[in-house]
Amino acid sequence: MVIGAAHVLSHMPTKVERWKDEAYGMEIRDHLERFASEGFQSIPEDERDAWFERFKWWGLYHQRKGQESYFMLRVGTPMGRMTPEQLRTVGEVAREYATGPVDNPEFGEAYADFTTRQSIQLHWIDIEDVPAVFDELESVGLSTMQACGDSWRNIVGSPVAGRDADEHVDVWPIVQNLHDRFKGNDLYTNLPRKWKVAVTGDYRGAGQGDINDLAFEPAVKEVGDESAEGFNVRVGGGLARKEPRFARDIDVFCRPENVPAVAAGLSGLFRDYGDREDRFNARMKFLVDEWGPEKVRSVLQEEYVDYELPTAGEDLRDEYDYNAGRADAPGDYVGVYEQRDGQHFVGLSVLVGRMAAEDVIELADLADAYGSEMIGLTQRQNVIVGDIADEDLSAFLEEPLLEEYSPDPHPFMRGSIACTGTEYCSLSIVETKNRMVRYARWLRDNVAVPEGVEDFHIHLSGCTASCAQPQIADISLRGMKTRKDGDAVEAFDVGLGGGLGENPRFADWIEMRVPADEVPGYIANLLETYEAEREDSESFRSFVAGRDESELADLADPEETSYEDPYLANTKMTWYPYAEDDAMSASPAPTDSNDEPLATDD
Amino acid sequence: MADRILKANAFTTFDLLEGSVEGHGFTEKAPAVLNVRTARRDPDDVTLELELDNVDLDSVPPHADRVTLSSAEARTLATELREAADRIDETNRAGDDGERV
Repeated sequence: MVIGAAHVLSHMPTKVERWKDEAYGMEIRDHLERFASEGFQSIPEDERDAWFERFKWWGLYHQRKGQESYFMLRVGTPMGRMTPEQLRTVGEVAREYATGPVDNPEFGEAYADFTTRQSIQLHWIDIEDVPAVFDELESVGLSTMQACGDSWRNIVGSPVAGRDADEHVDVWPIVQNLHDRFKGNDLYTNLPRKWKVAVTGDYRGAGQGDINDLAFEPAVKEVGDESAEGFNVRVGGGLARKEPRFARDIDVFCRPENVPAVAAGLSGLFRDYGDREDRFNARMKFLVDEWGPEKVRSVLQEEYVDYELPTAGEDLRDEYDYNAGRADAPGDYVGVYEQRDGQHFVGLSVLVGRMAAEDVIELADLADAYGSEMIGLTQRQNVIVGDIADEDLSAFLEEPLLEEYSPDPHPFMRGSIACTGTEYCSLSIVETKNRMVRYARWLRDNVAVPEGVEDFHIHLSGCTASCAQPQIADISLRGMKTRKDGDAVEAFDVGLGGGLGENPRFADWIEMRVPADEVPGYIANLLETYEAEREDSESFRSFVAGRDESELADLADPEETSYEDPYLANTKMTWYPYAEDDAMSASPAPTDSNDEPLATDD
Repeated sequence: MADRILKANAFTTFDLLEGSVEGHGFTEKAPAVLNVRTARRDPDDVTLELELDNVDLDSVPPHADRVTLSSAEARTLATELREAADRIDETNRAGDDGERV
């Protein structure tokens, strides 16, 4: 039995639920186009909260205080997979439309962000430009639909599925099927909250299913004499709200052909039973907390699927190495790898996932020139170029652009992830991306890399919303405030030893409120202790796991160094942290499509 | 170490206050988060929540404290806070006057 969406909306409890009931989903497009043609000020002031919430369904987030009238636009690319033509279009759209009143000192006038869910984010988008942006994106098969909002989000997984020489099931056709089926599908348009799905077919665990609402994980099931390849199903993972959960095993094996039915069943179950009365409690992880995996399985079986669900098969988790903190394998896709067909895919490191628009275009052209048919965005905010022929590989690796976006970067330039931060985000309390860039450079220039360490994962998040996945890194940094020399300054809580893999583990939180300018010194001291005290080639994660709380607290102290932090003051209170006059009162927003201030009644 | 109990983002009322905890035989100081919260759905009360940084505390386990206030109680608290703040301002003004004399 599938219960229609209308059935569960009869209560309309929360404000957001009421807004969604009035208008949501596909129809928002018409309203967006109307507002675009009439200008930002045509959005009635007392309705803006409601409209901004609804716009998310079409991939638009209104930027933070001081940046009124500007939007972040997110493009969802299933499994981060694109063609060079699509990448070029992203670069062109960024160059043309993602420009604001002030340049970013590290990244220039226009840039694209590659996100931890394999999507693309552009900033400073004017609503007047949205129809043109949509047209350009859609002309090459890209879309912002359901990139945000309470619905099926971008499906994540390994972008090299089908090319990877080391995989169990090619999940690309499965993911394409799910994408086509659940994007713009009225039955799943309006869920209680976001719905994040990962489909993993490789031995690396690159889908990072453990932190998703629904995860299909590679597995083998013996049925009689037959050995069936497919997936085990886990539900209710997620990191946000200070309530991290790893997805829980519901003891279901799923053949590839049954993935759509099980996915429809579980997202229908979430739609109908998820908590619409309290958005803080709405995510699937809380329903799994309340019900337990056994009840999720039984309700799925009884109400949402019409075949008998097999019990779980044997998983392949002991082989997972993606972001697993292992000493014997890289935890990302950076580097040169052989494809199934004998060609190569080349993973390029993109520090904090941000690439200048001109570089995006250049990379797309380069990929095209070398005959690549596949660009991949990874969950570690890096980019992959596929299909490089054996005979072209040397020449490709010599391309000047790869000096900046290297397949063989310095370890401290390789493993860093950062969220958007106070540059644009209304939740963050600290500056993030530019600071992480400066941290990485300082570490590269001043700190000896422990022997054998090739990638070292630092995840920097601006608040407890956890968009940079701070709980699953070697070093976790989460924005906070502290007082230093009498002044309130930006700071970080510091966690250690988190990661995914066979036995995922959240970081232990060791330090609180470390002033941002003392974080590099803390990391340097920590790595010195690690190098001195570890046993043989023990990984950092294992080193942390083997120590109790007081030992971890004694590993290192924060320290001022030659590192200088230009963002120590309260960037949340600026209109834009990098503006020459950054006072909120100096903001030109709201502006027209030429970044000129709009006349106001004041 | 335990993670924070309370979330901290740009909507948190105060992410950096000076706090202290006192018990029989111990007093400890620590930075604190203080937040005012109401339910999103038809709120009928106000929650005032406080957490001191657990890494700075030995005497008590990591925790947050909450009190629930009716709208009338919240207004009473707000009034008392405002009056107390006014007294501080008046004292400061008096001090300023004194210096000018």
